[in-house]
Amino acid sequence: MRKTYLIFAFFIAIISNVPGQGLGSPGTIKDDGRFAASTKQLNQFFRRFNGEESIDGGTRFNPGDSLYRNIPLRKGYLNILFDNQTTSITADLKNQFIQNVLSEAYPQYLVFHREGWYAEVETEFMFKGKREKATLFMKLQAEGLGYEWVIDQVSFAPFKNLFNKPVGDQKDFLHPLSHELGFMNLRKALQDSNLPESFTANSYKPDYLAIFLYEMKQNNLRFITVSGLKFHFFQVQGWYFEVNQFNRPGFNTGWLISNLVKLGPGDKETILKYIYDQE
Amino acid sequence: MNNKLILFLGLFLSTSMVALAQDNISPARKQAIDSLALEKVKDLSKYISIIGSKETQFSEANRVMDRAEELFAPGAEMGVSSINTQEIAYYKVRRYFERLMALNYDRVNITWYDIQYISDLERQPDGRYVGVITIYQRFEGTSIETGMNYKDTTKKDITIYVEKKQTQIAGRTIEFWDVMLGDVRVTETSA
Repeated sequence: MRKTYLIFAFFIAIISNVPGQGLGSPGTIKDDGRFAASTKQLNQFFRRFNGEESIDGGTRFNPGDSLYRNIPLRKGYLNILFDNQTTSITADLKNQFIQNVLSEAYPQYLVFHREGWYAEVETEFMFKGKREKATLFMKLQAEGLGYEWVIDQVSFAPFKNLFNKPVGDQKDFLHPLSHELGFMNLRKALQDSNLPESFTANSYKPDYLAIFLYEMKQNNLRFITVSGLKFHFFQVQGWYFEVNQFNRPGFNTGWLISNLVKLGPGDKETILKYIYDQE
Repeated sequence: MNNKLILFLGLFLSTSMVALAQDNISPARKQAIDSLALEKVKDLSKYISIIGSKETQFSEANRVMDRAEELFAPGAEMGVSSINTQEIAYYKVRRYFERLMALNYDRVNITWYDIQYISDLERQPDGRYVGVITIYQRFEGTSIETGMNYKDTTKKDITIYVEKKQTQIAGRTIEFWDVMLGDVRVTETSA
């Protein structure tokens, strides 16, 4: 497998060295193949995964083109779409995944506009005078005449322990005949308690994004910068994988699969819960 | 003169970007738009090289900055990060050019790699299309006094906005696709 990867990476490097691809001005530097091999955009990750572009990246294959989604082309691409330097993904798992994706009966493709992939954006905000990290979970949605990225959830450490609903004997409650007293005991419950969430339903789940937006509107939260980005994919049936950007010397760089999990029943929900960190 | 101008404009529009009636962009149309966008990116790279060069007079650099700014949609920003930190520093396009011009080197050499990548075009809610062109730039700055020689290679991911517009030529309404540059993400690479 490693051999295939090397051959394909080498092939990309050689093919991409054809003249006349560059910006064209005199003094242009010749790429030694590293930038050509790199998966430069997530768009290229999609195209390579699906086998929708030529090896030099210069031609986009469309339905009807002879090499559109060509299986040997896809196989070559899939091998170089993995982080092959620091990953803990076993060769066996990778092979199972590739075989699954390339199945002749049921080949699987990534679809940009389809649900099942998310961006995890590491950001930094000023919150009450302190620099804090916030993770924004973004998804693509149809809107107006096209599409837009929207914030689906947020994970923000200062909010983590904001709602700490006690359980069992520790939990305050409004007794079941409170209604007969016109809920006069709400005064004690809500004025004297530091844990008003004690009086919420079992099904209550705090909406951290609503609080986050509220704090922004109150000018308590001010955006500073983006500090990291990765993508989570659930589009290949029975699999989850994570895509990260690798900025390092060599040919195995750009947007690559850094984590791969074969999903059993219920695993998707568990992983989503873990990723979204909303507990 | 006027007729010549109209003829030239007509030819330019018909060869490079006359639009079809539909809103979807066909592969052939996409290729024409890619070429147009790439021309704008080439212009930008040429302007960056001129602005960064120590041989460029101050007044000339300012004039070129004006030209370069015209390539961009209003409000476009450059987001810059280095190898050591992924954190993005934000600059308005003009401010980025001014910083480039003010770099404290005696000799500056900016060159471009012979590779670029053009994404698909995606439609955004307002109906305009958006794409990203990736190019690689090599920067070399030398300070004679300290003997310091600084080199870096940056990846530039340049947003392009593609919009269908109309113009009147000799009383006829002609539709064409216009391309503007948008935000640019500048990432230092390990190359």
